[in-house]
Amino acid sequence: MYRTVVNRILLSGGSRRLPKYPDIRTVISSSRFSTTTQPQTVLNPSGSSTSSSSSTNFQTSSAAGDVPRHERNNPRAEYEGEQARVLQASLRHVIRLGWSEEAMIAGAKEVGISPSIVGSFPRKEAALVEFFMDDCLQRLIDRIDSGEELQNLTPSQRIYKLVRIRLEMQAPYISKWSQALSIQAHPLNVSTSFKQRAMLIDEIWHAAGDETYDLDWYVKRTVLGGIYSTTEIYMLTDSSPEFRDTWLFLDNRVKDAFDLKKTIQEAKYLAEAVGAGMGSSLQVFVGRVLQR
Amino acid sequence: MALRLLTRNLRNRISPNLCSASLLHSHATSFGFKEVREEEKSQMVGKVFSNVASNYDLMNDFMSAGLHRLWKDRLVSKLTPFPGMKHLDVAGGTGDVAFRILESINSIRRRALQDPINDDLQEETRIYVCDINQNMLNVGKNRALERGLGEDKSLVWVQGDAEALSFEDNSMDGYTIAFGIRNVTHIEKVLTEAYRVLKRGGRFLCLELSHVEIPVFKELYDLYSFSVIPRLGEVVAGDRESYQYLVESIRRFPPQEKFASMIADAGFQKVEYENLVGGVVAIHSGLKI
Repeated sequence: MYRTVVNRILLSGGSRRLPKYPDIRTVISSSRFSTTTQPQTVLNPSGSSTSSSSSTNFQTSSAAGDVPRHERNNPRAEYEGEQARVLQASLRHVIRLGWSEEAMIAGAKEVGISPSIVGSFPRKEAALVEFFMDDCLQRLIDRIDSGEELQNLTPSQRIYKLVRIRLEMQAPYISKWSQALSIQAHPLNVSTSFKQRAMLIDEIWHAAGDETYDLDWYVKRTVLGGIYSTTEIYMLTDSSPEFRDTWLFLDNRVKDAFDLKKTIQEAKYLAEAVGAGMGSSLQVFVGRVLQR
Repeated sequence: MALRLLTRNLRNRISPNLCSASLLHSHATSFGFKEVREEEKSQMVGKVFSNVASNYDLMNDFMSAGLHRLWKDRLVSKLTPFPGMKHLDVAGGTGDVAFRILESINSIRRRALQDPINDDLQEETRIYVCDINQNMLNVGKNRALERGLGEDKSLVWVQGDAEALSFEDNSMDGYTIAFGIRNVTHIEKVLTEAYRVLKRGGRFLCLELSHVEIPVFKELYDLYSFSVIPRLGEVVAGDRESYQYLVESIRRFPPQEKFASMIADAGFQKVEYENLVGGVVAIHSGLKI
């Protein structure tokens, strides 16, 4: 688990690395005063500098050529690494125990760390759900990057495929997913879950080949957000084998959205044509009236 | 080393009110605003607490207008206790924090009654209450009896010194010290001991009276501390000196940021603090990894 965390930081680079949930009110991390590690910048609460500072540390530590394992040289990443390990292990208990402290306690015990660490997560169950969402997004990005599957598809087919891949990651947890949704809807957690979903939607559109930068961007995100959320909720009550009904539902929604786009286009042309026609006859009429 | 000698020399010339908290490193230490020798400090603190033990809880209620209960509730909720936990509450003499933790664990257990694993774990829960002062421990044991926890083998009362704990390395899931760290002679030793006894993943939590920086409120608080509290001590507990010591020791204790850096020096990670009532009280927390 260390290795995968380390690999992601090293290999995926700044733009693709997801910012972690930031530490509010953290004053100090230990390595500032430790003699064995490289000197570090003062902790910055923003997520992106977390990843950049830890990646510079990896570079300096490998330059110094000290220790083969990068984690040992960077105690600041260590506690976050440990927290990530605990959360990863906790996911295996979610099916039985739900998205709860009990699952996190069981996860901590599995990893061999005192369950007291659960108290250090600012919003406990929400931390677990958010970790899962980040993890799924990262896996989706990996699949997109390894990307043969999307080559020959039209945008609407790509969107269908991507949303399906993402929702299938939730399938094992579907029995407890409504609990996760309610945790995400909690006022304290809404802003983080909204941000995560926004990133997810953005990623999917990006992979589907969207290059627009105007007002259309918001419309597209909103529409896809709607498709994703409704399909997610439909999946909660779907008992068909391998969620066949859900995929059918998704397919129909995607088609509707693309048809809607064409319909709006056509409606616009029609309105213009009518307007042009009306405008010229109106001019003639007004002319006649004034001439009298 | 040279720095220590230098500060010691300087300290003799500078008046006590200007001494910074780093001077607590030297061989003389502070007892309120007085300078005393280290060996004497623990004796003097011992006397203070022997005197106040019987009225300790009553005076707490008076001085904080009952708020200390909420502060302790907040401390325990930050701890997130779980069944099977081994917890150490240092300087917890009269047992307030320990009782809260025990009740929190018992209520979790009642909720999860259907899970057989938890029942076995519940048997393993141990909350050690450690205090250097036997009088305070006795008061605590009596209170436990009153609350019906006298037979509960989860509560263990131990007399001991926070700077030299009798517990093994890596044996505790949690460590709390509520309103106690102000009174020790060597803060760093206590922090080092705390680090030693905690397991990996264990948390250190410290509830302590701290520094207020908010402009007007600070003056009001100072007024309240130096005028009202010793008087209250005199009237209610018949002991003005001890309460004078109390308010002075609050002022001499390092401010929030400095204390947080001391905790980090001891090896803890993710060191944070939360101010309650604008800084009158602060809860510092650290994680051992």
